[in-house]
Amino acid sequence: MTDAAPAIFVALEQSGFAAAIRQSPWLYPAANVGHIVFLTLFAGAIAVMDVRLLGGLSAAAPGPLLARTRNVALAALAGMAVTGSLLFSAEASHLALNPVFQLKAVLFAAGLINVAIYQFWAKPAVEHLAPGASMPARAKVTGALSLVIWIAVAACGRSIAYF
Amino acid sequence: MTRAVIFALASVLLTSAAVAHHGWGSYDANKPVTITGPILSSKFENPHATITVRASDKVWTVTLAPTSRMSTRGATEKVVAVGQDVSAYGYPSTVEKDEMRAERITVNGKTYEMR
Repeated sequence: MTDAAPAIFVALEQSGFAAAIRQSPWLYPAANVGHIVFLTLFAGAIAVMDVRLLGGLSAAAPGPLLARTRNVALAALAGMAVTGSLLFSAEASHLALNPVFQLKAVLFAAGLINVAIYQFWAKPAVEHLAPGASMPARAKVTGALSLVIWIAVAACGRSIAYF
Repeated sequence: MTRAVIFALASVLLTSAAVAHHGWGSYDANKPVTITGPILSSKFENPHATITVRASDKVWTVTLAPTSRMSTRGATEKVVAVGQDVSAYGYPSTVEKDEMRAERITVNGKTYEMR
């Protein structure tokens, strides 16, 4: 615990909820494993979506493929949010000050902004395209950004423990 | 284009994974210390158990191992309880003042590996 962190994170770490996570022999390791399992699901779904946006997997019509893989990505993201909250709560004050965690938070926000940009800017131009149709530039831009950002988020996540 | 992007990203990811080999990076392995004294406080918690020890020079915070690993190796909550005399060999933190990460600890003549 570090008092240098903002009070809300100190309070979270000192809560009974966070103490229960730390004191359970299995809860923290289970959240740790679960976070990575959901990450692999998330990364797989995201990779399919982004490769499609970049013009790969062109035998499949983009609309239905993107819609289905997005459901997997959202479910996996929810799982990561739950497990990530457990991991964060246990060490909230240190993590809030950890530079790699801070970078991860910024990149995560950037990832969500990219989702919004895709939603309003690229998706309307993509979802009704036929199989094999060339992808518009806006699809490639958001797809490439998504790949780069989410892989960077994952790399940051794995690096937190080393800083 | 797609393949080039994927290859570049995979390279970045693999390289960063190799750099981040394990979580001892913020401890100075070139300056190992052995501290000995009574345990003042003990938290048998995840992700790492920690104890504070009144050594001859100052009170150290000693970071140990995850609780399940501690228990598996016999370093249970009772072994690292308050009042026990402990000797800890490890590396001082380059970030946290008066903190060290123990490579191994000895309590009552028995040595427990933490890594």
